[in-house]
Amino acid sequence: MNTLYRLERGMLEETFRHFRECGAGREECQVLWLASWEKPDVIAKVVHPKHIAGRGGFVLDDRWLNDFWMELGDTNMGIRFQVHTHPTEAFHSQTDDDYPIIHKPGFLSLVIPDFGLGPVGFKDAYLTEIQADGRWQEATIPSRLVLT
Amino acid sequence: MTLENGETPPNDGLAHLHKAEHDLEKAIEKEREAEREIANAESEIKEAIREEEEEARHFTVEVPYDGARKKFEVRVEETVKQLLDKALIAFGPLPAPHTLALFKDGKELSDPLTIKEAGIKPHDVLLLRPSTVKGGA
Repeated sequence: MNTLYRLERGMLEETFRHFRECGAGREECQVLWLASWEKPDVIAKVVHPKHIAGRGGFVLDDRWLNDFWMELGDTNMGIRFQVHTHPTEAFHSQTDDDYPIIHKPGFLSLVIPDFGLGPVGFKDAYLTEIQADGRWQEATIPSRLVLT
Repeated sequence: MTLENGETPPNDGLAHLHKAEHDLEKAIEKEREAEREIANAESEIKEAIREEEEEARHFTVEVPYDGARKKFEVRVEETVKQLLDKALIAFGPLPAPHTLALFKDGKELSDPLTIKEAGIKPHDVLLLRPSTVKGGA
């Protein structure tokens, strides 16, 4: 718990690029930030899951998820953050709470406002973390994430 | 050698008889040895069949979750739910276990099925993953 993750600025730019190209200001979009189990606090890969989406939400493709789950095991990587956009305000909805890709203490979910069309960064973003009892609790971004 | 009256001398006949008896004893011993070898081979085959049957009833599967892989011993009569519970404990704490299921060949396995009924075989990889991943404002 309370891990401070390191993220290269280029990966944050890649994340926003996916939001803008895939969501295009019309649909929500999600990316995942992965780290290896050897260096669990260093984000090493940005993954853009196959999904279907609309203005009010997204659902990951089931077949893609199976393949991705195998790939994670083969590459010894784990998912540290799920990052997704909202049309306007960033917050964690009930759906966000109930259907994360990982549900274990310390897992982080970052929500980016305005479909990610704003400046690349964390302005008005919302970060929340799963607690030991399974509940989500807001965390400050600087306490969990440092750009390198 | 033959006597004038055409009879074989008694000593030669005895010698032949002894030789025949000796040959017979050797043949009997060989037969016993062959029977022992057959018995040993049958015993080995039975043991191999027993081991194979045991392996078919009790074997190892692999379960990955979030990039970590763990192995689990299962018995064919166990249920999928029992294996799921073992996996949830091994990867835990996982505070929302009801959102997770085991998947084989892309399909979610039904909890009440036995390992046999679910078609799970030795060394199968069963994914522990959420049934649905979604989000929305």
